[in-house]
Amino acid sequence: MFKSKISRRRLLGSAVAAGGATAFFGPWKHNRVYAASTDKPIRIGLTADASGQYANSGASDRRGMIMAIDEANAKGGVLGRKVEYFHIDTETTPATGSRVAERMITREDCGFLVGALSSGVANAIGQVAQKYGVLYMNSNSSSPTESGENCHRVKFVWDGNGANFAKAAIKNAIDSFGSKFMLLTNDYVWGHDTAAATRKLLTEYGGTVVDEILVPQGTRDFSAALLTIQQANPDVVAAAVGGDDQKAMRQQVAQLGMGSKPAWINNQQDWPDVYGLPVDNLFGVFGTTWYYRLDLPGVAEFVQRYQAAFPETAMRVPGNVFYNGYMCTRELLAAVERAGTTNNIAVIKALEGHVMPAKDRMQHFDAMIDPVTHQVQQTIYLATANTAPAEKDDLFSILTQSTPEAVKDTAAPGACKLESYEATPTFDA
Amino acid sequence: MLALLPHIVNGLTLGLLFALIALGFMLIVGVMEVINLAHGSLFTLGAYLALSTIGADWFAGTGFGSWWLGLPVAARYVVALALGPLLAGAAGLLLELCLRPTYGKAPLYGLLLTFGAALVIEEVIRLVWGTGEQHLPIPAGIDGAFLLGGLIFSTYKFFAAGFSIVAILGVWLFLERTPYGAIIKAGAHDSEMVRALGYDLSKLRLLVFGFGAALAGLAGVIMAPIWGLRPHLGIDVVIPAFLIIVIGGVGSFWGAVIAAILVGLAVGVTGAYAPAWSLLSMYVLLVLVLGFRSRGLLGRKSALEN
Amino acid sequence: MITLSDIPRRGGSPFTWPMGLFLAGLATAPLWLAPIGLYQYLGVEIAIWILFALGFNLLFGYIGLHSFGHGAYLGIGAYAFGLFQKNVDVSLWGGLGAAVLAATLAGALVGACLSHRRGIYFALMSIGFGQLFWFSAIKLRHITGGEDGLLGIPRPDLVIGGWRFDLNDNAAFYWFVAAITGLVTLVLWRLANAPFGRVLQAIRQNETRASFVGYDVWRYKWATFTLSAAVAGLAGGLFAMAQQSAYPDVMSLHQSGLIVMMVLVGGGLVSFWGPVLGVLLYFIARDVLGGLTETWLLWYGLMFVVMVMVRPEGVAGLLQGLRRRPDGRPAPLGKA
Repeated sequence: MFKSKISRRRLLGSAVAAGGATAFFGPWKHNRVYAASTDKPIRIGLTADASGQYANSGASDRRGMIMAIDEANAKGGVLGRKVEYFHIDTETTPATGSRVAERMITREDCGFLVGALSSGVANAIGQVAQKYGVLYMNSNSSSPTESGENCHRVKFVWDGNGANFAKAAIKNAIDSFGSKFMLLTNDYVWGHDTAAATRKLLTEYGGTVVDEILVPQGTRDFSAALLTIQQANPDVVAAAVGGDDQKAMRQQVAQLGMGSKPAWINNQQDWPDVYGLPVDNLFGVFGTTWYYRLDLPGVAEFVQRYQAAFPETAMRVPGNVFYNGYMCTRELLAAVERAGTTNNIAVIKALEGHVMPAKDRMQHFDAMIDPVTHQVQQTIYLATANTAPAEKDDLFSILTQSTPEAVKDTAAPGACKLESYEATPTFDA
Repeated sequence: MLALLPHIVNGLTLGLLFALIALGFMLIVGVMEVINLAHGSLFTLGAYLALSTIGADWFAGTGFGSWWLGLPVAARYVVALALGPLLAGAAGLLLELCLRPTYGKAPLYGLLLTFGAALVIEEVIRLVWGTGEQHLPIPAGIDGAFLLGGLIFSTYKFFAAGFSIVAILGVWLFLERTPYGAIIKAGAHDSEMVRALGYDLSKLRLLVFGFGAALAGLAGVIMAPIWGLRPHLGIDVVIPAFLIIVIGGVGSFWGAVIAAILVGLAVGVTGAYAPAWSLLSMYVLLVLVLGFRSRGLLGRKSALEN
Repeated sequence: MITLSDIPRRGGSPFTWPMGLFLAGLATAPLWLAPIGLYQYLGVEIAIWILFALGFNLLFGYIGLHSFGHGAYLGIGAYAFGLFQKNVDVSLWGGLGAAVLAATLAGALVGACLSHRRGIYFALMSIGFGQLFWFSAIKLRHITGGEDGLLGIPRPDLVIGGWRFDLNDNAAFYWFVAAITGLVTLVLWRLANAPFGRVLQAIRQNETRASFVGYDVWRYKWATFTLSAAVAGLAGGLFAMAQQSAYPDVMSLHQSGLIVMMVLVGGGLVSFWGPVLGVLLYFIARDVLGGLTETWLLWYGLMFVVMVMVRPEGVAGLLQGLRRRPDGRPAPLGKA
C-alpha cells in the first residue's frame, strides 16, 4: 500500500552516489583518517526511549549503539566515512515514535534508524521507515508480532521473542516440575501472543492449562491473582507480565515467598530492570540472550570495554539490552562494509541470511538473520536467580542454552509478509 | 463462599491502602479546594527521600554515615518513615507558596499549576535518582509471609493496612479533637470567618498543604515496598485518589474512607472472578455512584462546582 | 483580567488581521518550514492539533466546561478512520466522515451524561469517561490492535470531481490538512462571534442567570460538547492519516492534560487565537528543546508553572496586555 515514491530523498541519494563513488575510498580506511573530508558522514538515528516506562532500558540500549559507533569510528569509519549519531527521546509513546522517525529521516538526514524497547514504538518507527526505505534495527522489542504480522522489509529484529523463550522453557518445566500449568497473562497484545505460544507448546508436549488469569495492563496489585493461583495449586505458573506490572508483581511474589512453589516461568528479564535489586526479586526460570559472566572468549574483554567507555554509569556491567543495542549496530555497520555501499537495498541483502559466528557474538551457537522474518535466530539461555553469587552484580545463574533451531518461532514465517524489494523505496544513505 | 472470603479480606486491605493513598489528596481538596495533581509526584518523592535516608546517600563517606549504616535496618527505617514524609511536606510548603497567586481565581488554575509542578518534580526525581527501578528495604520483622487457612498472605501488606488505619484515625483525631483541626475545618467552610477571628489564613493554608504533602509522602514510603519504586510511580496514584474523592464526595472525610474501601473491594473481588476487568471496576463504580448521587456518597456543596 | 466577553456583540467579517495572519501562515508553511529548521511532518501535526485545540476551546474557554478527557474523541476519530479504510472502503471522504460521525456520537452520548454537571464534577466525570474509552481501546485488541495500535492505515487519494491527488507525500498532505483546518477555523470563528458564542460566554459567567434569561443551558452545553467532540474526531481522522496508524496513547489522561495545557498557555481563556499560540509554542518547544536536552519537560513544566503564577491569561493575554490602550482599557479583540 505504500507508494515507492520519495522524490527529494532519492534525488539527494542519487546525487551523492553519482559524485561519491564511495567504495573507491576503501583502501584508505585502515589509515584511521576519514578517506575524504568532503564525503558526507553516515548518519544514524538512535530512537531510544529516554522517558516513560522504558526510559531506563532505553538508556542502556543507547549506550550499546554508541559504543558500537565509537568503535567503528576508531577503526576509521565505515567505507571510509565517519559515522555520526543523533538521538531524540521517543518517550515510550508510539505517536512520538512516528514523529521522531519522520524528523530523523526528513530533517536530520539519518540513513539508518536503530533502537526500540516497546513494541508499539517499534511498530510506529518501522512503518515510517518502510515508507522511506530507511533501514531500521529493532534492537530490543521482544514481541512476537515484530517478526510476525508487523514485519517489514527494512526492519530487522535482534532480540529473542516470547515464542523463543517459551520454547526454551516449557519442555524443561514439564520434565522438572509437572504438567499442570496456569497462565498469568498481561491482557494486551504481547501478553496474549506469548500465552498463545505457551499453549501451543503445552499441547505439543502433553501439558495442560488449568486456568488463565488475565491481568490488565497497569495492574499494581497482584494479591487477588496470587490468591487465585494458590487456590488452584498448579505445578507451574507461566507468566507473561511485562513492564512496570512485572516490577510490581516481582516485588509482591518475593514478599510472599511464592517464587519457588509453585514453579514459575517468566518471560525475558531485561538486565536494566533487575540490576541493583535484591536477588529474591528474581524468581523462577526466565530467559535471556546474553549474560556478562558467560564463560566464553571475549566476554570479559567486552565487559572491560563497557566499563572503560562508560565510567560514570551506575550500571557497572553490561546486560542483554546493551548487548542487543551494541550487536545490532555493529552488524549493521558491518553489513554496510560488506555491501560496499550505503544503498539501502544492497545493505538489506547483505543482512538477510547473514550468519554470525558464535565467537563474534559471544554466544554458544552461531546466529543467523532469518531472510523470511528478519529476526535474528540466536542462542536462548534459561536462567534463574543466583543464590551463590561470585560478586555483587552476579545475579543470574545460567541453567541451559538452546540452539537457535530448537527455539525457532515457527509461527512467524506464516504471519510475516515482507514487502517486495521493488515496493521499498531505494536510496543511498 | 469460602473461596470468596480470602478475596474479601484482600479487598479490605487493598481498600485501606487506597484510603492511605487518598488521605493527603483529600485533605487538600477538602480544606483548600485545590486539586493537587502533584500528589502522585510528592508520593514518589517521599519514597525516594526515605530510600536515600536508609541508604545514607548524602553522607555515606562520613563518619556519621558509617555509624548510621551500621545501625539495623529497622532503626533506619523508622527514621526514614518520618524523615521522608517530612521532607516531602517541605516540598509541599514550597509548592503552596507558588500556588498563592491562584487563590481567588477559578479552581482550574490550582489544578493546572499542580499539573506543571508534577512534571517538574518527576523530572527532578529522574535527574537526582536516575531512571532505574529501586528497592526500598524494610525491616525483617514486617517482611515475609504467613499462612492462614492454607493460603499465604503478605505480612507487610497487613502491616501497611494497619498503618493506614492508624494514619486515618490520626488525621481524623487531629481534625476533630485539636484546636488546629477546628480552625482548619472552619477555614474550609468560611475563610472570612477565620480571618475575622484573627487567624492568619495564609499560614493556615501553608500548614494544610504541607500536611497534605507529608501525607502523600508517607503513603509513598508505605506503598513503595509493594509497588516498587521508579520515577513515574506518581501516575499510578493520582487516578485512584481522584476516583476515591469523587465517589466519596468532595469534602467528606468518611465518604472518602468508605469509597476507598468500596474501590478496594471492587478491585479485589473482580480480581478473583473477572481479573481482566479489575481495573475498569473502579470506573464502573464511579459512573454508578455518580449516576445516583451527583455529589458522591457523602459530598456537600463545594466551591469547586462553580 | 481580560476575558472573552471583550469580543464585540456582532462578529462582523471574520477577515480580521489575526485571521489573515493565521491563514497566510497556514497556507505558506511548506515554503518556510525547512529554512527555519523545522520539517514538513511537524507542520502536519501542528495543523492537526490546532484544529483539535480550536474545537476544544469552544468547550474549555467559551462555555467554561473543563474537560480532561478530550483526547478520547481524537482517538475515536483516528480508530474510526482506520477501521473504515480497512473494513469498508479505501476512501478519504468516507473515512473522515466516519471519524466525525463516530466522535460525534460518542460526544453526544457522553455529553448527555455530563451536561448537567458543573465545575469539578464535570471535570472528574470527563476524566472517568476518557479513561473508559482509553481502557476499551487497549482491551478490544481484536478491533483496535490493542497497545500496538491499528497499523498500516492507508492515505487515500483526494478525489474532487474528476481530479485525483496523491496525498502520500507529506507536503501534498499538508496542503490538504491546512485547507481543512482553515475552513473549520472560519466556521468556528463565525460560531464564536455569532449570538451562539455570546450565549456560551453568558453561561460560563453565570449559568443561573443565563437560564433565567430563557436559554436552555443544558442544550447549549450538550451541543458544545458534541461539536467539540466532532472537531476532535475530524482531527483524529487526519491524525490517523498523518501517522498511518491509530494508537491508544492519544486517549490517555496525560495526553488529554497536554491539550488543556496548550490551550491555557496560549491563552484560550482570553482569546479565540489562544489555542493556536499554545499549540505552536508546545510543538516547537518540544521539537527544539527535545533535540537539545532530555530534560526538556522539566523546563517546559517550570515555564508552565511560572506562567500560571504570573500570567494565567497565557500568551494571548500577554500580547493583549502589550496592546492595551493608554487609558487601561483593553483593545477590543475582534476588531484589532
